[in-house]
Amino acid sequence: MDSAHIRNFCIIAHIDHGKSTLADRILERTGAVAERNMAPQLLDSMELERERGITIKAQAVCLSWEHLGQTYKLNLIDTPGHVDFTYEVSRALAACEGALLVIDASQGIEAQTLANLYLALEHDLTVVPIINKIDLPSADVDRVREELVEIGIDGTEALAVSAKQGIGIDEVLLAIVNRIPPPAGNLENPLRALIFDSRFDSYKGVLVFVRVVDGRVAVGDRIRFMATEKDFDVTEVGVFRPELTPVDALECGEVGYLAAQIKTVLDTRVGDTVTLAQRRALAPLAGYRPAHPMVFSGLYPVESGDYARLREALEKLRLNDAALTFEPETSLALGFGFRAGFLGLLHLEIVQERLEREYGLTLITTAPNVVYQVSLANGQTLRVDNPSMMPSAGEITEILEPVVDASIITPSEYIGAVMELAQERRGTYRELTYLDPQRAMLTYRLPLGEIMFDFFDQLKSRTHGYASLDYQLVGAEPADLVKMDILLNGEAVDALSSIVHRQRAYLKGKALVARLRELIPRQLFEVPIQAAIGNKVIARETVRALRKDVLAKCYGGDITRKRKLLEKQKEGKRRMKSVGSVEIPQEAFMAILRVEDEL
Amino acid sequence: MSHQGRDGAAGPSQPCLEGRVNPLREPALEAWGVYIHIPFCPVRCTYCDFPTVLVRDEEVTTAYVDAVIREWSGERIPHRPPLAVYLGGGTPSLLGPDAVDRLLGAIRQRTGSVGAEVTLEANPGTVDQDDLNGFRQAGITRLSIGVQALQDRLLREMNRGHGVDAVLETLAAAKRVGFPTVSMDAIYGWPGQTWRQWQETVEELIRLEPDHVSLYQLQVEPGTQLYRKIRRHELAPPNFDEAADMADWASRRLTQAGLARYEISSFARPGRHGRMNQLYWTLNPYVGLGMAAHAFDGRRRWWNARSLHGYLNRVRAGRDPVAGSEELNRPALMREYCWLGLRQVSGLTRQRFGQRFGADALPVFHRVWEELRQDGLITWDAERIALTARGLDLANLVMGRLIGAPLDADGTGKRG
Repeated sequence: MDSAHIRNFCIIAHIDHGKSTLADRILERTGAVAERNMAPQLLDSMELERERGITIKAQAVCLSWEHLGQTYKLNLIDTPGHVDFTYEVSRALAACEGALLVIDASQGIEAQTLANLYLALEHDLTVVPIINKIDLPSADVDRVREELVEIGIDGTEALAVSAKQGIGIDEVLLAIVNRIPPPAGNLENPLRALIFDSRFDSYKGVLVFVRVVDGRVAVGDRIRFMATEKDFDVTEVGVFRPELTPVDALECGEVGYLAAQIKTVLDTRVGDTVTLAQRRALAPLAGYRPAHPMVFSGLYPVESGDYARLREALEKLRLNDAALTFEPETSLALGFGFRAGFLGLLHLEIVQERLEREYGLTLITTAPNVVYQVSLANGQTLRVDNPSMMPSAGEITEILEPVVDASIITPSEYIGAVMELAQERRGTYRELTYLDPQRAMLTYRLPLGEIMFDFFDQLKSRTHGYASLDYQLVGAEPADLVKMDILLNGEAVDALSSIVHRQRAYLKGKALVARLRELIPRQLFEVPIQAAIGNKVIARETVRALRKDVLAKCYGGDITRKRKLLEKQKEGKRRMKSVGSVEIPQEAFMAILRVEDEL
Repeated sequence: MSHQGRDGAAGPSQPCLEGRVNPLREPALEAWGVYIHIPFCPVRCTYCDFPTVLVRDEEVTTAYVDAVIREWSGERIPHRPPLAVYLGGGTPSLLGPDAVDRLLGAIRQRTGSVGAEVTLEANPGTVDQDDLNGFRQAGITRLSIGVQALQDRLLREMNRGHGVDAVLETLAAAKRVGFPTVSMDAIYGWPGQTWRQWQETVEELIRLEPDHVSLYQLQVEPGTQLYRKIRRHELAPPNFDEAADMADWASRRLTQAGLARYEISSFARPGRHGRMNQLYWTLNPYVGLGMAAHAFDGRRRWWNARSLHGYLNRVRAGRDPVAGSEELNRPALMREYCWLGLRQVSGLTRQRFGQRFGADALPVFHRVWEELRQDGLITWDAERIALTARGLDLANLVMGRLIGAPLDADGTGKRG
């Protein structure tokens, strides 16, 4: 097909503004799926994605649509909907010429709407604004049009749609064809295809999702990945309809997949360029960036015998998750495990859940932390991704921590509350702009370590759910940080160490030991809990010795029940780790993240 | 383990009772008991999760007694009288003397005697002097009275359905009738129960001169009204430290008054310890009759249907009312012998363990015993293994460790 009849587009939206529902309607209207076969939100195919209502991996589907006697090929590329996956979103956008910007008619523009819009404009995409959910009683289409004008978009161009009711879907399809330009690119040039996602398939090896920018790729071609410099022979190319449908070749402008018996997604980095091994492109497509884990956490099996199984499971997960990193680590407290790196907290949770659900492991996860750049007095610099590895204060000249620029959109009445929260989290104020008299956008520079855990929850609770957040990493800045150790029974427990700001160390230490006192069950002996910086103890609590437990009455000789209760009690202890002679439950390792609420 | 599917394995005239208490399986076991569950209650106590039914209808209770007698008639039993018979509940005193007489008559008919100890659990306010006389004449030798507390406010919170007056009346009546043994139960660790209230209760119990006392620490069971109230923060959760103090004090006080602690929660004058419980703690067999009743033949445990209708319908149709069972292998029996035996203050007797299993209990679970000893929870000598004072307070923890104890040796000299 000539590229004049191809349209490559994506749908971008703030969470819950109806992106997936709109995608479903478009799929139905173009006959890609029959209405009756439609599982709600078809594009979110991973079980976890459906449970969480978010898209974790990008998806692409090739649609055919007849209009005025012409057949158009519409490639819809779905994008991940979480800030952990911003880079993946940017690659998916780079594969498109246009974007449908979906805005909830009653919610209006939110932080992610803006972040996505700017991202789309950065990639020179044609933006088709769509005001969705116009069927809701609280819908206010005119207000949203005004807000669009505020952010530099012609509000009159916005389509009014109800994806849920199927209202305005034809207009959306028309706008895709009429407003979004067809792909450019040259069929005669050497192959250049952008990888925007990949996925492991146990029969075909890795399926590489590509947008062909120049040239063509066909079965039998020997291809090269320009960043990883690996060569493979293509065994299959095809498109998603949405099921995998092999085709002879993918030509410039087209979106599809290729398979080449590739064993691991580590070879097929998102953002990399595919070219031909024999006829290479002069330069790769712009914008490739290797995935960088942002947060790190220790993963330890509760049963030390499970170490090998954990390693195998991590290796298997990495076949399909290039952003996951891990290396062996030993903790005095927890034994053998791994320090794993993740794109963000959601990514961590997903990996942890899959390890437990799909591989049947029981894990102790240490509190996630960011990575610090530490300059030492001897001139060396260190990258510290585990708080317990932080050198002693005397050796350090400077610590840099990663920082983000965060934009928060909030009703103006909550500006004070948001500023207070940002300041508590060591934020530096940058800017305040009004979208309209009722809504404002605040920009702050914030340490990543301060916002990755519960910042969003706090933001929501302090603004009664109205504020929205988006952020991007901008680099590292110096900060006055110290390592806080926790001692149980006089012994430092390395897995409980954390990096905190000096001025807040005392408060955090107090809150943390108080929290640990509640979490650590009473043992046969008294257990002192201390927080210390260097040799200086800054807070102390005591878990008193266990004195008495309850003994169930055995009615009428029901010994079986009593025994089962005791067994169940034992089972409950499984997710505890004995450190020295103290049993520590999983929650204790996460306690540092929770103390913020109490300060 | 689930029900073995033995329903209908025998004709309707003879309920299928294959595998029931059979002395031949454990020839060393002489003593056996009969437990009869009487599930009926006039009210539901807020802390209770026992299998009970809120019924006072005489038609139902009569039908129930008929069913129990029919179940009993099909039991395979040893050719000697039981050591103890126990009517537990529920509120067995709701049955009335005639029904109790019929039950005990049916037992006597097959064994010649009901044995030395025949207990009836009675709740204050459910019986009068005539009833108690009737029970005594029917053959009840031991009356176990659920006192629980001697403050109207606590009795109300427990929803016992009676006040302190009724407790005192029932106790006085029992005294007049002259049961050989009168036992009283009380609960400590109740939310909001004060030291003063507890002391008052214990002192009053002593003054009433029971032969036997059981003190139970409150256990908050899921599914009870008490559990829900605590979850909704309408009542404070029990304070275990206070409960520990209450237990320590009461134990000393009862001992001073001549009631020696012989089991974790039981105290008795010399020779008046409860024999039925002792059968449980020494892994002896017992027949279990009635809804949700449990039975044991020395190796296998089984239990009856937990619903009244399930039980009645099965027995009436001539079917076995058993709902489930489990067979314990030798290591499991050895573990149970240990953790149950430890409930007795005197501990478990190494010689008896040896007679039963042909092995010494100490090397069999050596690692766990040693660990428990180092933690100060148990102690042993040539004859016995017993809980220390601390172990008595933390018996649940001790038992939890024994439940999964690995076999260090099988007693035949080989490592297990």
